[in-house]
Amino acid sequence: MRVIQVKCPQCNSPIQMKQKDSLFLCGQCNAIHVRDGGIEKLDYEIAEFSPSAQGEKVYMPFWRVYASFVIRSKNVEGGSMFKLMSFVKGSSDGGNMFIYIPASEMDPDNFKRMATQFTSGPPRYSTRLNFGGAGRLPAVVNKKDAAELADFVVVTMEAEQPGVLQRLDYTLTVNDTKLVYLPFVRGASGLMPAL
Amino acid sequence: MASVKCPKCAAPVPFDTEVKFVKCPYCNSQVYLDRTGAGLYYALPYMVQENDAVGTFRRWAAGSTKAKDLDKLAQIAGVKRQYFPVYMFKRDVNGVEQVLIETAGSTTLPGLHNLKVPAGDLKMFDASFDVKGAELIKPDIEMMAYMNNLPGKPKEQALVYFPIWKLDYVFNQKKYDVVVDGSSGEVFSSEFPTRSSNAYIAVAVVGFFAFVGEGLLATSSLAIAAGLMAATVIGIFAAALYVARRM
Amino acid sequence: MPDISVGLNCPTCGGAISIAEGENAVNCPYCSSVLFVEGDQGVTTIAFKNKVARDSAMTSTQSWWRRGLKARDLPKTGKVIETYPIYLPFWRTSTRVAGWICGYEERRHTDQKGNVKVERIPKESMVLQDYSYSEIACDPGDLGIRSLRNLVGESSFADFEMIPTFEATTSKDDAVVHAKTDAVSKARSSARVPHVTFERLHVFPRALTMIYYPVWVVRYNYRDRMYMDTVDGITGQVLSGRAPGDPLFQSLAVTGGSSLGGLIAAGSIIYGSSADDWRIGLAGLAVGLVVLFLAYRFFRHGSERIEGEFKDKKATMAQTLKQVQGVAKQLEGLR
Repeated sequence: MRVIQVKCPQCNSPIQMKQKDSLFLCGQCNAIHVRDGGIEKLDYEIAEFSPSAQGEKVYMPFWRVYASFVIRSKNVEGGSMFKLMSFVKGSSDGGNMFIYIPASEMDPDNFKRMATQFTSGPPRYSTRLNFGGAGRLPAVVNKKDAAELADFVVVTMEAEQPGVLQRLDYTLTVNDTKLVYLPFVRGASGLMPAL
Repeated sequence: MASVKCPKCAAPVPFDTEVKFVKCPYCNSQVYLDRTGAGLYYALPYMVQENDAVGTFRRWAAGSTKAKDLDKLAQIAGVKRQYFPVYMFKRDVNGVEQVLIETAGSTTLPGLHNLKVPAGDLKMFDASFDVKGAELIKPDIEMMAYMNNLPGKPKEQALVYFPIWKLDYVFNQKKYDVVVDGSSGEVFSSEFPTRSSNAYIAVAVVGFFAFVGEGLLATSSLAIAAGLMAATVIGIFAAALYVARRM
Repeated sequence: MPDISVGLNCPTCGGAISIAEGENAVNCPYCSSVLFVEGDQGVTTIAFKNKVARDSAMTSTQSWWRRGLKARDLPKTGKVIETYPIYLPFWRTSTRVAGWICGYEERRHTDQKGNVKVERIPKESMVLQDYSYSEIACDPGDLGIRSLRNLVGESSFADFEMIPTFEATTSKDDAVVHAKTDAVSKARSSARVPHVTFERLHVFPRALTMIYYPVWVVRYNYRDRMYMDTVDGITGQVLSGRAPGDPLFQSLAVTGGSSLGGLIAAGSIIYGSSADDWRIGLAGLAVGLVVLFLAYRFFRHGSERIEGEFKDKKATMAQTLKQVQGVAKQLEGLR
């Protein structure tokens, strides 16, 4: 066992951070890096709050998985054969898409709701360079798990179409995974998106 | 309790086995216990006393697969208190923890086919550990003989002495032996006098077919069948009670 | 004693720092640098406070003696020899499973002419759930405990010095592998898809913790034999144990079982021959034999009652019925 000081891999300044988070944010150069299984600097973006957002502002981390999804064959009982989801751009039997995977601690139901909501209707936002004093939730899902969860989200959206899915032969290739902080406000019924 | 020297103030810091961090009671600093390079000696204390061990043997001997009344008829010829050694290696194999138990000597225990460290309160085995008069079986294989051939990196390695009661008993002029784990009370045995199931099977099968026959008879003559059934119930019950008590 | 102690200092300011087991990032209390623990940092450990007094452990044992077809004279003849608490170590983890299982179920319908029609009902089922898992972290020995039933308790290390603590001697990573297998099989059975045509499951093990759970060990004497049972140190219930049986119950079981089994067989043979269908008679005979077998097993082995997760415990009623169902299915296949 060895105890080491956490330093930013980009500017080499020591990290000062109060919250427990597997994502280390550098206060000097704003780089974010992880340390489970080697040091890796992460590419990330922060979305701007909607000007009308009221209340306590919180950033929630998501993995935005950019993947190519190709269905080779599909077998559905009942209902009629449906074409691919409208959000899949490209040819009719596959395409490229953005899959949003919530990275903070979340129960299964909320996880599924958030993931399908943002994946079927990708959020539009302008980006900013820092968190502007808003808090950020710690991430518990790592990049590798995000790729597997992306697979689950894609199959879920296929299966939830009318008819009963019997077989799905597909490939999902992850081209890129980016960390995205989306803005939320704390309301009476939990966190609400504030895009 | 075993202790280490505090690296800050040199005071003795008592620690329990299997903990990674301890606090020095004098200077209050935290100490990390690095076991990767050390060969440790552990022992489990006796939690089952001699009377309990004999009683546990009698309970085991009364089991349904053992010869009838073995618990009463077995004559105990000797009870030995021994500490039996095994090696326990904790390794880090490509980031995965593996625990390997290896034999420490040529002596084997009857009935203990897979070596293990029995459940118990591991203590440091040093001068202060009281073996309570038990015979210590010395390991005749060195720890180092294993160290070079095990996969991965070492996390911890220890020689563990576990307490056993070795009972010799005689039944029908034949000698048997059995081992009672002195920590959790488990019984190990390779060979023991067994009980035949024949009488039990006979009662059940005879009863079953008697009722099948009487059931079929009931369609032609209900009264006779009912009488026979009542007799069979009494007969089977009496036979079963006799078999369960005596055979 | 080999020298195994290592002081813990902040690599930046040299101040003494303190790390809890299982933590991999800490803040230095002096210079507030973020520090990272590389290598084996252990597992988060908690201990539950023992809430049960010696007397109530004995009372639970004595009321347990009266239940479950144990020797009738046990409450009178049984004598508690010793009662002591121990801490048992358990690995505890929760595993999230996310995925889909698709397939179909077959239902057989027989119409009045005896034609069998097989209806195929397609099924799709999502699995998205956290499954909790626990397993004992040392050899279970003859304690009869392998997993935890109760997972809530007051966390406290206050009794730790007083109660003998059984140490963890199994691998934490093995426990995670078992937890994953357990979660997948639970997920599969929750999906209820008998014939699977498509399955994609993702398994995510979450944080592993070590729980030290208080358990009372009660050793008691019955006719010179030493029996044992364990009592949960939080709920006060008997967790496992061995107890003497009674020949009376064994005999009643085989009498009842052979008569009931025989009459079921005879009844269905009679009904089958009047309905001119030999299969009914055969099925009845099979059911009768199953009843006989269960009764026989109790008759043969009921001289010791075993409750809990012991190695030599006979399969439960549910497991036996499952085996019987499996055999029946095979027979159906042959026909």
